[in-house]
Amino acid sequence: MVTVSPPVDVVTPEARAALPPRRVLADIALIAGRNLRKVVRNSRLIVFSTIQPLMQLILFAYVFAAVARVPGLSYKDFVVPAVLVQTMTFSAMGTGVGIANDMQTGMVDRFRSLPIARSAFLVGRTTSDSLRLGIQSMILVAAALLIGFRFHAGLPAAAGMVVVLVLFGMALTAFSAWVGLSVGDPETVQAAVFIPILPLIFTSSAFAPVSRLPGWMQPIARVNPITSAIDTARGLALGDGTLYRVSHTHLHTAAWHFSLWWIVIVAVFTALAVRRYRMG
Amino acid sequence: MPGGVVAEELVKRFGSLLALKGVDFVAPEGRVTGLLGPNGAGKTTAIRILTTLLQPDGGRATVAGYDVVTEPQLVRSVIGLTGQYAAVDEDLTGRENLVLVGRLGRMSKRASSERAATLLGVFSLSDAADRVLRTYSGGMRRRLDLAASLMFAPPVLFLDEPTTGLDPRSRLELWDVITELKHRGTTIVLTTQYLEEADRLADTISVIDTGRIIAEGTADELKTKVGGDVLDLTVADRADTALAARTLAQTFGLAERDLSVDLDLGTVLVPVTVGSAALVEAVRSLDAAGVHVGDFGVRRPSLDDVFLSLTGHIAEENRSESAAPRGRRPVMGG
Repeated sequence: MVTVSPPVDVVTPEARAALPPRRVLADIALIAGRNLRKVVRNSRLIVFSTIQPLMQLILFAYVFAAVARVPGLSYKDFVVPAVLVQTMTFSAMGTGVGIANDMQTGMVDRFRSLPIARSAFLVGRTTSDSLRLGIQSMILVAAALLIGFRFHAGLPAAAGMVVVLVLFGMALTAFSAWVGLSVGDPETVQAAVFIPILPLIFTSSAFAPVSRLPGWMQPIARVNPITSAIDTARGLALGDGTLYRVSHTHLHTAAWHFSLWWIVIVAVFTALAVRRYRMG
Repeated sequence: MPGGVVAEELVKRFGSLLALKGVDFVAPEGRVTGLLGPNGAGKTTAIRILTTLLQPDGGRATVAGYDVVTEPQLVRSVIGLTGQYAAVDEDLTGRENLVLVGRLGRMSKRASSERAATLLGVFSLSDAADRVLRTYSGGMRRRLDLAASLMFAPPVLFLDEPTTGLDPRSRLELWDVITELKHRGTTIVLTTQYLEEADRLADTISVIDTGRIIAEGTADELKTKVGGDVLDLTVADRADTALAARTLAQTFGLAERDLSVDLDLGTVLVPVTVGSAALVEAVRSLDAAGVHVGDFGVRRPSLDDVFLSLTGHIAEENRSESAAPRGRRPVMGG
């Protein structure tokens, strides 16, 4: 047995414990970097987060487009922004699974027992997941363009749509993180997050204009946060005129709903997740 | 006790379950202190409070002089923690795991990688350093986990059942490392349900059962507490077991419940003050009673005997529970 512990650097406990902003940022970057490295190494995750959405895109753009009609617009152009929002929604659920996995393997304990910023674990997770969502949405937009989807409102609006996609995904990572921290078991998290998410997607404006949904479903669809994200993305992709024609709502109204929902989701679930994390 | 660990009257409640009922505990600086108890006794809960992972509901504790409740960040900068389950990242290589912990522990990039290389060598992991952990065996993971806890050479080390579930060889390897750390002056708090492990590694032992410390001292002191020696008898014919027990109880003026009798195995254990003298007396009286002796000996009590006499149950009866998955662990605290 060779030497186990000649101290490598002589740092006082006070210095090691100090948390100047530079260190907080460094901790966040270290944890985010570690998360991204995991994504790259995990082929299953890559398949789940790119191949699967690509299949959905093709399914909706070709198979559904063959039977579904939206007046005055190709179904492909109508449905692609919705498929993108749906993909962000599903992807955001990976956050909770990742966190639950870290809890189960003891990594959360490891991080919490180190002299790092308390916020670094959750913020690092949000950072890496937002980056993942951003890359994923770009790949999907490129794929959508390849199969014939077109932006109708110019490049800045198109860029705006990508921003809306990522912002929406980010908000949902807070919800997902809270579920992950509360449930603590990756497989249960996977099941638990979809209980509210799937019905919300199907009762939104995703696959048909709200006016064509069954009567009882329409009020639900109108206040649905997913509708607000999809309508905003659609308005930015297709233009306000087209959005109004198919959804009877203007882009600024949709954007207003979306902002409101965004703030509510982020505020409520970040608070819940942080509380859960602190409780330990 | 500047560099040690002191806990006073620690109380922790999980819903209606009182997991710690006022635990007093001292781990002197530079020594190995064993926290010995069966599964569910409160060992892990105590460790989680001392390592700031869990808030106590009552009492106070300091680690190297820092209060775990009011100065948790300072506590975290002087401790290393190795849990029951290796807390290392499956998707990272051994080296990446160590460097990550080092950098989060405020070491420079360069210092982290130098230190990682050293520790990988110490723990015989150099060949596997750049493989992802999914390819590691259980023993390798545990060694890496311990290496991770040592990255910034913390003066206080908490080892929560470090060898549970390990094969004998890996266990011996870990014991060597722990002994070496002790020689280098690290304060170590070690929980275990293996009596042998506490006997071998710990300078002093605190025995914990159902949320309370029920005894403390060196292994020898605890053994003395049980009595001097133990007569260990196996009868030739198991039908004679009860008779043998009755005879020996009479001979030494003991109540029969002071003896440990196993009718199936035909064994009787008798606590006595001086073994050699008692042996002669015992053989004489058993002979008079017509009991044929199969095997007979005198031995010092083991920590198993200590545990049995202190708690009324054997130390490892719940061992299978420790292998159960623990989904809600951070909430329950184990």
